[in-house]
Amino acid sequence: MIRLGRFVTGVIPLAVLSGVLLAALLMMNAATQNSAVFGRVYSLLLLVNVVGIVLLLALILFNLFNLIEQYRARVPGTRLSLRLLILFVLLSVLPVSVVFVFSVDTLNRGIDQWFDVKIEQALDDALLLGRTALDAVKQDLIKRAQEMAADLETVSSAAPGRANRAALTALNNLREIHSVTELTLFAPDGLIVASSGEASLGASTLVPDRPNETILAQVRQGMPYASLDAQGKSGLRLRVVVPVYAREVGAPRRILQAIQTLPPRYTKLGESVQTAFAEYEKLVYLRGPLKFGYTLTLSLVALLTMLVAVWAAIFSARRLVAPIRDLAEGTRAVARGDYRKQLPITSHDEIGMLVASFNDMTRRIHRAQTQLKRSQQEAEVQRAYLETVLTHLSSGVLSFDSRHILRTHNAAAVQILGVDLGYAEGKSLEWVGERHPAMAAFVIAVRAAMATAQSEWQVQVSLEEGRRTLIARGTLLPALSGRRSGYVVVFDDVTALIQAQRNAAWGEVARRMAHEIKNPLTPIQLAAERMRHKFLKLLPPEERATLERATRTIIEQVEALKSLVNAFSDYARAARTEPGPVQLNELVRDVVELYQSGHEPAGGVAPIALRLELDERLPILVADAGRLRQVLHNLLLNARDALAGNPRPIIGVSTRLVAEPPRRFAELKVQDNGPGFPEAMLGRLFEPYVTSKEKGTGLGLAIVKRIVEEHGGAILAENAKEGGAYVTIRLPLEEVAARPAVPDETPARAAGRQLRGKGSS
Amino acid sequence: MRVCGKSDALRAWLAAWMLGLALAAGAEFRIAEIQPKLIGDSLQFAGTLDLAFTPKVEEALAKGIELTLVIDVKLNRVRRFWWDQNLGRWALRRSIRFHALAGQYLVSDPGASADNWESFTVLADALKYLGALNELKLTLPEAPPAGDYSVDLRVGLDIEALPTPLRPVAYTSLSWRLNSGWTTWGVAR
Repeated sequence: MIRLGRFVTGVIPLAVLSGVLLAALLMMNAATQNSAVFGRVYSLLLLVNVVGIVLLLALILFNLFNLIEQYRARVPGTRLSLRLLILFVLLSVLPVSVVFVFSVDTLNRGIDQWFDVKIEQALDDALLLGRTALDAVKQDLIKRAQEMAADLETVSSAAPGRANRAALTALNNLREIHSVTELTLFAPDGLIVASSGEASLGASTLVPDRPNETILAQVRQGMPYASLDAQGKSGLRLRVVVPVYAREVGAPRRILQAIQTLPPRYTKLGESVQTAFAEYEKLVYLRGPLKFGYTLTLSLVALLTMLVAVWAAIFSARRLVAPIRDLAEGTRAVARGDYRKQLPITSHDEIGMLVASFNDMTRRIHRAQTQLKRSQQEAEVQRAYLETVLTHLSSGVLSFDSRHILRTHNAAAVQILGVDLGYAEGKSLEWVGERHPAMAAFVIAVRAAMATAQSEWQVQVSLEEGRRTLIARGTLLPALSGRRSGYVVVFDDVTALIQAQRNAAWGEVARRMAHEIKNPLTPIQLAAERMRHKFLKLLPPEERATLERATRTIIEQVEALKSLVNAFSDYARAARTEPGPVQLNELVRDVVELYQSGHEPAGGVAPIALRLELDERLPILVADAGRLRQVLHNLLLNARDALAGNPRPIIGVSTRLVAEPPRRFAELKVQDNGPGFPEAMLGRLFEPYVTSKEKGTGLGLAIVKRIVEEHGGAILAENAKEGGAYVTIRLPLEEVAARPAVPDETPARAAGRQLRGKGSS
Repeated sequence: MRVCGKSDALRAWLAAWMLGLALAAGAEFRIAEIQPKLIGDSLQFAGTLDLAFTPKVEEALAKGIELTLVIDVKLNRVRRFWWDQNLGRWALRRSIRFHALAGQYLVSDPGASADNWESFTVLADALKYLGALNELKLTLPEAPPAGDYSVDLRVGLDIEALPTPLRPVAYTSLSWRLNSGWTTWGVAR
């Protein structure tokens, strides 16, 4: 359907149709001018023209309809097409109309002028003259015919056979005498009685020409008949028919017909006059139809010209506007973002150049767009890469713009600072400090460092009353186009690192103490014993008691010092663990049993209630059972000491299976309802010699921590909200548990694991 | 009311058109009676055609325009359960013209050579002669078998034989539309 529409609106059908119509009109014009060849098909040509013009009109109307539909649909370019069309139509149709009107007028006048009144009169006169001349001959023939009829009155026709012969003889004689071409005698009923004709006449004249009934009837009534007969090509002849009266009474009245062929000269002149007159009469009569025919031809030509002009106007308008419409569509496409649009270059004129420029422009835009997209993609990849790196960075990262507004942060920053920074982006550093007082020290330090506008700086910040230490490093970001730039601040929680350093120092102290103090203790003890042994017998009894008391004190104190030094030595020494399968719940029950039965406090102190809450799902873990037992002893002893003076002392021991995919832990928790850890000590609980007790080495929790770390676990000591303190230990299960820590591990490395343990708890 | 007015106008226009048709019909060609007869391999006719010209046509004739009449004849074999079978078709032409010098109407004789013209002083006689089919005899290629036959006959003015300029006028004017239309006649044997 669309293809048909395109075909109908195309140039070929209209051009062919126009050509055919023009040819038909030319032939029709030739036919109007009496051309014999085209005259025969005149009506057909006329029909072809009318049908063709109707078709042409239909095609043009279809085109116009299409154009108007497009105009209504606001198709780009149709407005201009329509304007051009109207202009072209006015330019072509108006002149053609004027020419047509004047042509028709001139044609009519011209045709009228052909017919001269004088010629018409002359021809009338010539005809009249001819008739008059022939009338004279006719009158003469009538007279002679009547004479001949009179002569024939005596010829009897009573007996057919004889009489006919007599009549024939008479007719022959009369014809000779009167020099007529043919004489025929008819009976009253019209039958031929006798006939005489010139011998020179051909065989066709053997049968005499019989007058028709009208003539016979007229003659029967006694009136002679005379006429000039035209005989096609054989010329003119006079026919006279007269009655032949009978002499005898009662005899029938016969009829004589005399035919006289006119002399060739008469015939020629007569025919000439007749032909000229007839032709002229015909022409005069055909004047009206001729005008009609010419006007019709002219109208068809004018109509064809106008229609072809209208069609040419439609075609030209469309052709002219097509590239402009394409351009309009192209610009729309570009506006929509389609930069790949290329328009066909149909001409090499200014519009063609414009189209070429447009194509060049879209090509350049497309190239630029592609490059931009590629750059964007690359930037996106870079950004994603950086984001991934930042997200997985263990250091906290914050970036600030030139006005110290927070722009970006990573997950580690949130974790280290313990503040949700999602909603703080776009806010100033001060705003964050006001909302989170815990961060105040960090904010003040960073702000002060940024205010120095140094390209790089480093600050150390203590948070939570010195329990946590952060180290922040700031770097000035590269400035864009001379603007002031912001900072990127990278910070780490170095609490664990400092703790590890402190642990290492303590280890060294312990080792040296063990080395430096333990060595002289044995000689001191031996000297004291020897002194006692040697002088006790020599001294008088009253002084013996003094020596006895003094040496015992020395030996006891040296023993005490030894045990102290041994404890330090234990702490400092890298213990060798012997891992094996351990059922933690069983181990807990064994140790707790000892405290329920064998450690009953004396002196009216309330007995400690031990509450067990053991998770039976707990699997067997691989660990050093003896060292775990030591851990449990230390914790229970610590708890018992903390509950001294408590009217209702309770110690809770619980185990639990903790799953934090992909890892699983066995969790041991020891809780008491005592006074809890002093707030100031919370950060340094696991350091050696940090204790709130009057007695004790202060190494209990430090050793516990050491053992837990040797097992790859983590430890946490906190005060409970409802009062009291608790210590939670997490030991890794399965493959982690199967790889106990190496014996010669340094305290610093163990501290690192504590940090991880804390992070996961 | 408006509808009424419209229909009145339509009725008046129709009446005028019918009247025009009736007037034209007064000068129409008509086939009065025809008695076709099959004798051997020839088809013979007896009968007359009623021919009358309209004043316009008479005027054209008087002004020297030769008029040609076409008599179309079709011979059919009648079949009861099927369409009739056409056995032959003839188109016979007869002309009439006016001879100004002689003051006579000349009618071409269909029986004789084309050059032979019958002359008549009165147009009515000429038309009567023109309409006489008594001497008409058409020959078939072979004698048709026994059966029922019919003849379709039509007589009309041949506009294509008119001078070229007159044809558009003749085609567009009712006065020139002279045609009897087809009539069917039984054939006697």
